[in-house]
Amino acid sequence: MEKGGTGGVVPSVAVLTGLTLAPASRVKMGHVTTAPVELDEPDLDEAVQTQSPWITIVWNDPINLMSYVTYVFTSYFGYSKAKAEKLMLDVHHKGKAVVSSGSREEMERDVEAMHGYGLWATLQRTDD
Amino acid sequence: MGTAFRRRRDGSYSATLHPAEIDLLASLVGQLLELLADGEPQATGPTDPLEHVLDLASSDPPSDPVLKRLFPDAYVEDDAAAGDFRRYTERGLRDVKQRNALVVLGALEQAEPARRDPDSRHVLNVDAADAEAWMRALTDLRLALGTRLGLEQDTEPDWVDDVDDPRRYVLGVYEWLGWLQDSLVHAVFR
Repeated sequence: MEKGGTGGVVPSVAVLTGLTLAPASRVKMGHVTTAPVELDEPDLDEAVQTQSPWITIVWNDPINLMSYVTYVFTSYFGYSKAKAEKLMLDVHHKGKAVVSSGSREEMERDVEAMHGYGLWATLQRTDD
Repeated sequence: MGTAFRRRRDGSYSATLHPAEIDLLASLVGQLLELLADGEPQATGPTDPLEHVLDLASSDPPSDPVLKRLFPDAYVEDDAAAGDFRRYTERGLRDVKQRNALVVLGALEQAEPARRDPDSRHVLNVDAADAEAWMRALTDLRLALGTRLGLEQDTEPDWVDDVDDPRRYVLGVYEWLGWLQDSLVHAVFR
């Protein structure tokens, strides 16, 4: 993560020429899915393994600001600033941190929210 | 040189920027919107009317590294689960990112010349309710630029001292966005 911008740079618009945000074309994988859409059904394993909840992991990246990551943990999870800062530092120094745990559905919701904030998050079973 | 974001007495936030900085930001946000629209996930095919009705995105990860960073895999070692997650969430995430970008564009259009030095200083106002959309959009811009620049470590890239490397200028833009975002986070989060 970054400690924060340094400022003092007034770039001109033209400098972006040749390095724009424009995408490479999205490669279609070349197959057409004809199977019916599968709606999520409760997984029997999950129902049984209540002692083995799922966790959301946030991974370190070199781009997100430390201040912003802390803000996200307080804003989305409602964590205290102290807890959010500790988690942020774990992400920064250890490369990742477990930021929440619960059912698979809840963790998918948390991961989706983290992606909305631009954080790199994944979910997995605790015993993985 | 302008001043970064500060909280105003009415709870809103304001920054004073050079008109060229406002134009630069608007240009970058425009490019981000283009990227989000161009890379629109394809429905899996016309033979799948139910999927079309449900407005589901493709389960294939995007090929563009920037889009892949904006919409990363949710499962590390389970491609099928990652694909399902992508199908159900990517379009919604894309909509949110587009809305955030439009909030930023709207505020940039409303920026007005400052009373002092009106030619070189424009005042940018951000409503309290829009601050988070701003932070998220600035994040998406930095993720896009940082990914294009190949920033992968917490250390400086090796081309940073090469005065002839055009990426240095883009790195300057990237750092400027970080400065602006950091000021907003600190103004919101005291």
